[in-house]
Amino acid sequence: MIAAGCDVGALTTKAVVMNDGAILGYEIARSRARAVLSATGVMDRLLGRLDLSWDDIQHCVSTGYGRNIMPFARSDVSEISAHARGAAWLAPGVRTIIDGGGQDCKAIRLDEKGTLEDFRMNTKCAAGTGRALELMADSLGVDVSQLGPLSLEATDPVVLQNPCCIITEIEIRHLVLEEVDSANIAAGINDITARRMLGLARNLGIRHDVAVTGGIAKNAGIVSCLERALGAELVKFSEDPQIIGALGAALIAADRAGRPGHHE
Amino acid sequence: MIYAGCDLGILSAKAAVIRNGDVLAFEILPYRNLPRQAAVEVMDKALAAAGVTREDVEYCLATGFGKKAVAHADGAVPHIMCLQRAVLGLNPGVRTVIDVGGHSFTAFNIGDNGKITESSITDMCAAGTGKYLEVMASALEMPVEELSQASLKSKNPLPVTSQCVILAESDLITYVNDGHDELDIFAGIASSVAAKIVGLVKRISVNEEIAMTGGVAKNGIVARELERGLGLKLANLGGVDPQVLGAYGAALLAREGEPGL
Repeated sequence: MIAAGCDVGALTTKAVVMNDGAILGYEIARSRARAVLSATGVMDRLLGRLDLSWDDIQHCVSTGYGRNIMPFARSDVSEISAHARGAAWLAPGVRTIIDGGGQDCKAIRLDEKGTLEDFRMNTKCAAGTGRALELMADSLGVDVSQLGPLSLEATDPVVLQNPCCIITEIEIRHLVLEEVDSANIAAGINDITARRMLGLARNLGIRHDVAVTGGIAKNAGIVSCLERALGAELVKFSEDPQIIGALGAALIAADRAGRPGHHE
Repeated sequence: MIYAGCDLGILSAKAAVIRNGDVLAFEILPYRNLPRQAAVEVMDKALAAAGVTREDVEYCLATGFGKKAVAHADGAVPHIMCLQRAVLGLNPGVRTVIDVGGHSFTAFNIGDNGKITESSITDMCAAGTGKYLEVMASALEMPVEELSQASLKSKNPLPVTSQCVILAESDLITYVNDGHDELDIFAGIASSVAAKIVGLVKRISVNEEIAMTGGVAKNGIVARELERGLGLKLANLGGVDPQVLGAYGAALLAREGEPGL
């Protein structure tokens, strides 16, 4: 039985196709301004690569900020539920999930059974999000994917203080002008981002094991800052941490396919 | 005698080359992360366009955020003094200057004696700056110049209330997905930028005539919305590119002798 999940994020769109509880494949692409075009494009590419057609999918669940306007999805689910489901499926011991998304940051807590208990989400400030990280990387003149590797070479990380990424951009440009080593600036950018993510999780209350999902989880510098602050290792997923929302949606799609007539 | 000015801003470098009082060349170079190199490059371009060499330059002054990093300059002057000099040279009747650059906002008053009487500078928020417009245009996947021109025709500007760049970008994406017209969205953004500028300029006195300088002054829809918000027409600056006025003022000051020397 084939089920699909599509996570339409503010910056990237992710799709996962599963067959009888196993991942067949996934796809990640930059989101366009129009969410429907982004999602349909990603799904088409993934199905093409897997040699499947839309008719082969029994149920598709969408999640993410564009979740309720996806024409191809049979139903939708909140990002919180999708991340909780995907992370707990890959790592049953996970109890706190910090999702560093494109335009928001979420902290999610699961109970002893691995079901959703509580969450926090930033709504007033973009600090600790992928977009903020991108803007800061840009003012350093590097691609956001380089921040992790670069920061590992830091010898004397700078300390950035201001939570606002735009003000921080000016701070970074001053540091660049003073010819401070990029590795030390990159380490400072990762550090301030990790601090914001951790602040949100502490506000929720942290229960171990802790996992980080979303694109930010691919930044080795942020992961190491978080591990140092938590005094514990983060959960290591066997899959790309950026697809966990889409994976959760696909798992929920499989559940719903087994329950005909289910509408949510 | 040849004089030069170099304005190293946060997002672009500008250079001006003059012979006595006459403009020989202006150049603008947006840069990403190598400000020192950008300053050299933009000056070399301006010198080449003017048909002179570095050796011909009698005196060069630097200004802007990176003024101390301009290797070829003989000295540095505050940006606000350069703007004052350039604006008064182009239109002696100006009494209020609003400068909106890539990442900064400056407003100041000029007294009848030509001296700066009051000023307000903020670089603590990107709302109302060029950076804000750039982020929004990139989310709409269109160049900012094209949007500024095209959105002048919009009849239904949409309200954009978030002050934060990143959160306003989320509002914008929501509008796009709700099927709203890109030009109505950008018109709403321009009007929110103008409202922010009006709020900032009202911290000082608003005395006529009012001139707008900096890269954002070239944005037709923001300038129009600003005129509406202030209920005034912006002063004529002789058609000189408002983005090079810092560099131009620096060149004029270089010719007249660095202030304080």
